[in-house]
Formats: sequence, C-alpha cells, structure tokens
Amino acid sequence: MSPQRSNDASTMSDQRLHSSRPRPRPVPPLLLGAAGVAAALLAGQLLPLTPLVDPRYFPTTGAVLGALADDLARAEFWRALADTLTAWALGLAIAVAAGAALGILIGSLPPVRAATASTIEFLRPIPSVALVPLAVLLFGTRLPSTLLLVVYAAFWQVLVQVLAGVRDIDPVAADTAKSLRLTAWQRLTRLAWPTALPYLMTGVRLAATVALVLAVTAELVIGSPGLGNEIAVAQTSGAADRMYALILVAGALGVLVNLGVRLLEREALSWHPAVRGDARW
Amino acid sequence: MLEVAGIGKDYRVDGGVFTAVDSLSFHVAEGELVCVVGPSGCGKTTLLRMCAGLLAPTRGTARVDGRDVDGPPEGTAVVFQEYGRSLFPWMRVGANVELPLKRLGLTRAERRDRVAEALRLVDLEGKEQVWPWQLSGGMQQRVAIARAVAFRPRLLLMDEPFAAVDAQTRADLEDLIRDLWSRLGITVVFITHDIDESVYLGQRVLVLSSPPTTLRAEIHIDLGPDRDQLDTRSAPAFAKLRAAVWREIQAAKRGAA
Repeated sequence: MSPQRSNDASTMSDQRLHSSRPRPRPVPPLLLGAAGVAAALLAGQLLPLTPLVDPRYFPTTGAVLGALADDLARAEFWRALADTLTAWALGLAIAVAAGAALGILIGSLPPVRAATASTIEFLRPIPSVALVPLAVLLFGTRLPSTLLLVVYAAFWQVLVQVLAGVRDIDPVAADTAKSLRLTAWQRLTRLAWPTALPYLMTGVRLAATVALVLAVTAELVIGSPGLGNEIAVAQTSGAADRMYALILVAGALGVLVNLGVRLLEREALSWHPAVRGDARW
Repeated sequence: MLEVAGIGKDYRVDGGVFTAVDSLSFHVAEGELVCVVGPSGCGKTTLLRMCAGLLAPTRGTARVDGRDVDGPPEGTAVVFQEYGRSLFPWMRVGANVELPLKRLGLTRAERRDRVAEALRLVDLEGKEQVWPWQLSGGMQQRVAIARAVAFRPRLLLMDEPFAAVDAQTRADLEDLIRDLWSRLGITVVFITHDIDESVYLGQRVLVLSSPPTTLRAEIHIDLGPDRDQLDTRSAPAFAKLRAAVWREIQAAKRGAA
C-alpha cells in the first residue's frame, strides 16, 4: 500500500490516529546525493594515507583539489578546456545537423531506406577510435583530427534515432495529414519532424556524451590540443595530482553536458506525454 | 455530390484473397446527411477510406462532385474515430484548426477569424491556446470537427467519430453534428455501428451486409428536421425505424439473402 493511500484512509476513518502520529519525512534525494559526494571525497582523502594505495599514483583529495586550483589560475588550462569544448560543440553540431537531415530524408523515402539499411548497420558499429590512424594521416594533430572522431561517433547515434522516429509516424495522423491535403512541406515540418523530435532528442543526448568521450580520447591518443592532451602530459611528467584534477574536470564536463541536454529536451518536448504536466503530477 | 459505383476492395491474406467489400453502389445528394451502418467487420471503414481517397479501390469508383477520387478530394474533410491521434499533440488547439487553412492563401487575420468561428461552432470559443491533451475526449473530438469545418468543406466524412466517448458526451456531439449540418449546409456521410445513432442522425440509413460487403438495405428516416434526444428517441416512429435497421443488421449477420 502506498503511503499516500494509507494516509487518505486514516483521514477518512480515524482523525485521531492521523493527528497523533506524524509520519517521518523521507530525506530529500539532493541531500543524500551531497552526502555521497562528501563520502567519496573523504575516502579519497583518507585512502592514500593508509598503506592500501600509493599516494604517488593516487594522491589525496586535498592534493588533487590543490592541483585543480593551480590549474584554474593558468591560461593553458583554459585554452585546453576551450579546445575540448570547441571540438565537442562543433563535432556535435555537425553530427546532429547531418544525422537529422539525412535521417529525415532517408526515413521518408522507403526505397532509399531499404538501400542504405545494411550499409548503415555495417558502418555504425565501427569504433570511432579505429579511425585514429586515418585522422592522423589526414589532419595530423590538429583540431580536425578530433572533429573526425567526434563526428563519426555522434553521427550514428543521431541518424539511427531519427530513422526510428520517422518510422513512428502515427497512421491516423498520417491519414489526417493526407485528408487535409497538407503540402509536402507541411507534412515534413508539422508531422514527420515533431514525430521524430523525441527520438532526435534521445539521439542528441547520447551523441553529446559520446562526443565528449571521443573528444577527450582523440586528444589523449592523437595529442591534438585539449584536456585529453593535458591529461597525457600530466601523466608523462609524473604530475599525478594534476592528472586527477584534469580527469575531475572532464567528469564535471560530462555531468554538465548531460544536464544541459536534459534541459533542452524538456524545453523542446513540452507537449510530449513524458515531459508535460498531466503525466507527471 | 458523392457517387459510389461498383466499388470493391480485396486484401491479400496468406496467399489468398479476402474480399472485404464486394461491390457497393449508392449516391449521396448535395446537402444530405446519410448514415452507414453494418455488422462489425463489414468494411465500413474501408468504404470511407476509399471515398476519402486514402485507399485505392480494387474495382469501381467513388466520385466526388463528378470527379473520380484518386487521392483526397478538394473540399472533403474526414473526422476519424481516434481523435487523440488525429489531432497533433505538438500544436495547440488553435494551430491544429489553422493548419489546413494555411494553403488557402488567406491572410493571418482571416485565418484567425476562421479558427475562432470554427471553435465557436463547436462550443469551444476562446480555446485556441489550450493543448489538445488538456481537453476531455469529447472536447478533443470537437476540436477535430472544428478543424474539419474550418476550411469549409462541402463533404464531411465521419468514421465512427463518437465510438470512443461516453454516452452523455455522445448525445451532445450527435446534436452538434445535426446542428452543424443544418447550419452549414454541408453533405455528411456518417459511419457508425450504433443503430440508434444512425436513425437519430440520418435522413437515410444505408445498411451494409457482412463481407463480401454489398448494400443490403436503404432506409429512409422520415423523422423530420427537428430532432431531440428525448422526444425523438421515445417516439413510436423512431422505434419502428430502429427495429427495421436492427432486423436488417441481424439478417446481415446471419448472412441471409
């Protein structure tokens, strides 16, 4: 029985019971989350002081935060952060634009969909990292190298989602559009696009995360400018605390990216049953 | 207005052929309100979809205004049973009603007036900014009807439009259709499985047979233009007509000739 229902029942049947025994309030999830983070930081501080881990490779939280503070004051750090964010944003934008446009196009033309299906299924699982040699051959260690890997990884996430979305057009809605004699443009913008939008947003969310992973990976492996490259430099120069500080920054970026895309999703899909008010409250 | 001549539809099933509609011929005059009833699975919706240009017939033709239907005809509106899926949930009520007006070359102000007028006709005045899913089922179907009448069709095809709403709402919507029909002077073809509804609404009821479907009977409903949920439905003439339609449908179910 849910607490809500038992509460209602007691209100109706027995006023005295209801007023005499207040229910313990559940701890807010935000507080629990903060407690979890604090515990992890504390463990990170205490563990290196024990013989269990070697502080040379696993410095204390204090040391890592100190290195982070140093980094925040350095121009190179901000340049690296900007490089990573540029590669991420540019790559994601290209992947989303291309994935959405091609997805709508291929999805609305059944013969093209049939002709491309097996090619897509073959190309999609190729790990983006396998393209590192190609990227280096083509662009060396510059930004376009990172972009190539980011776009390749993010593009398929978007394309596959949009293809599924276009396929999901409600037959009654399609009949309605036909019987109203909507123009091809109206059917595209008022029916196919809004139907595919929830799928596109899922694709963007997945792509945004994958794009960040690939941006950092490319920088780390290829040595193109950015946070990944800084992590590699910190590692080879034995600055473990700085390496962890940069990893923390990359993690924080991931959290922010996910948060941002979720906000965007809510904004774009305010009409959708999963987002709109009636289904939630 | 609507001429259906020898129309039929076969579906391929498991290598065989299923004749959903064998051959149907009838005529609906300008300004008429005709109801089509039949036993369940008799191809009512197939018939409507062929008339609406949403489904190509295997044989025969449907003609609207003397022109063969080979796609959704101009000046024809369809109201579907599944209002929740027929309205676009990503557009507010006003935008839903306005959408088909956009290709008519009207100014923004003219479109806005037409939307307001259509919503007024279905008793949803001023609901332009509401989302369809914030409305009850009956109100959503009213929006779909407003969208259909906003572009001033001459022929309105309705496919069991009130099958998914409760009885009280249904009675209100039936009166709304009678009212719109007499006020706007449009031709209405109303598909239903409900015998009472067909008698209450129609000037004429076409009874279809079981598949392979043919026209089984045609019953004229001489109840006069003014109908009332209470008086009309309790009149002896209503009971007689209702019984006549009922007998035809029972016979159709048994497959009697």
